[in-house]
Amino acid sequence: MAKTILAVDDSGSLRQMVAFSLKAAGYEVVSAVDGQDGLNKAKEKTVDLVLTDQNMPIMDGLTLIKNLRELGSYKTVPILMLTTESSDEMKAKGKAAGANGWLVKPFDPKRLIEVVQKVIG
Amino acid sequence: MASKRVPVAELRRLLSAVSDHGKQHLVEVEADLMQTTFLLGEAIEKLGASFMAIHEAVMTQQQEIDTILSSAGLPAGTNQKITEYREKIGEEVNAAITGLQFQDMTSQLIERTIKRVNGLRESLTALATHGEGMDAEHEHEEIARLLVEMSANLNTRSDAMKFGLKKSVSQRDMDSGEIELF
Repeated sequence: MAKTILAVDDSGSLRQMVAFSLKAAGYEVVSAVDGQDGLNKAKEKTVDLVLTDQNMPIMDGLTLIKNLRELGSYKTVPILMLTTESSDEMKAKGKAAGANGWLVKPFDPKRLIEVVQKVIG
Repeated sequence: MASKRVPVAELRRLLSAVSDHGKQHLVEVEADLMQTTFLLGEAIEKLGASFMAIHEAVMTQQQEIDTILSSAGLPAGTNQKITEYREKIGEEVNAAITGLQFQDMTSQLIERTIKRVNGLRESLTALATHGEGMDAEHEHEEIARLLVEMSANLNTRSDAMKFGLKKSVSQRDMDSGEIELF
């Protein structure tokens, strides 16, 4: 059975490219347009991996991670940030919030899939 | 008795004119940036749709080629060539996916610029309204107070703007970004 990845990004083109790359590698993808939408969809179905942007309206990526980590079903689910933010300060905040990795945009599909496979197989 | 034209009144008039002129330009800048964002969004939507359609067509074509390859006796080396073409197509698809993400970063930069433009417009508005109710009998003190107030106001607005802005996008090439697992 294919593993499911929740991809959260406010950019339609980014969501499209992330979903395309992950589906081509055999994963199922649930897309969300911001952190709040991501949180709602994560509650509907526990996914195998969360891939989230940081800067989004309504709820940003760090807040989403903190909220997910408070849910029993997401204590150990891997969460990766995919963002234009690349400062050590932001990475430290991400790590403290419970992120398992940091990917700086733009992503290369091949490298993204390698990381996802490493994290969830 | 003719009214005395004091420097402070003249200064206020000039500041107001600068403010109006500047705001007029900023309105135009904001409109152009909004239109740029719209055009970029439209362009990337069409490019994305074409990309998906091309990819689907290529996949269908590859399935047809597989069928032909399995049923026909093709010259030696054809399989190898087709595999090489497939790999080349795969590399180009990956490069296109990376390239298509630059609209997102450009939009973030434009959004940041629009916020700065709005912040500057607010500062110019403040510039025009400063110094109302000045005492013409103490013009030197009033001008000094006006300039100090203006400077403080601009600093406050500038700081507020900085805190409200997302970090700037610093990507300078078309390569993919770094990856770090914690």
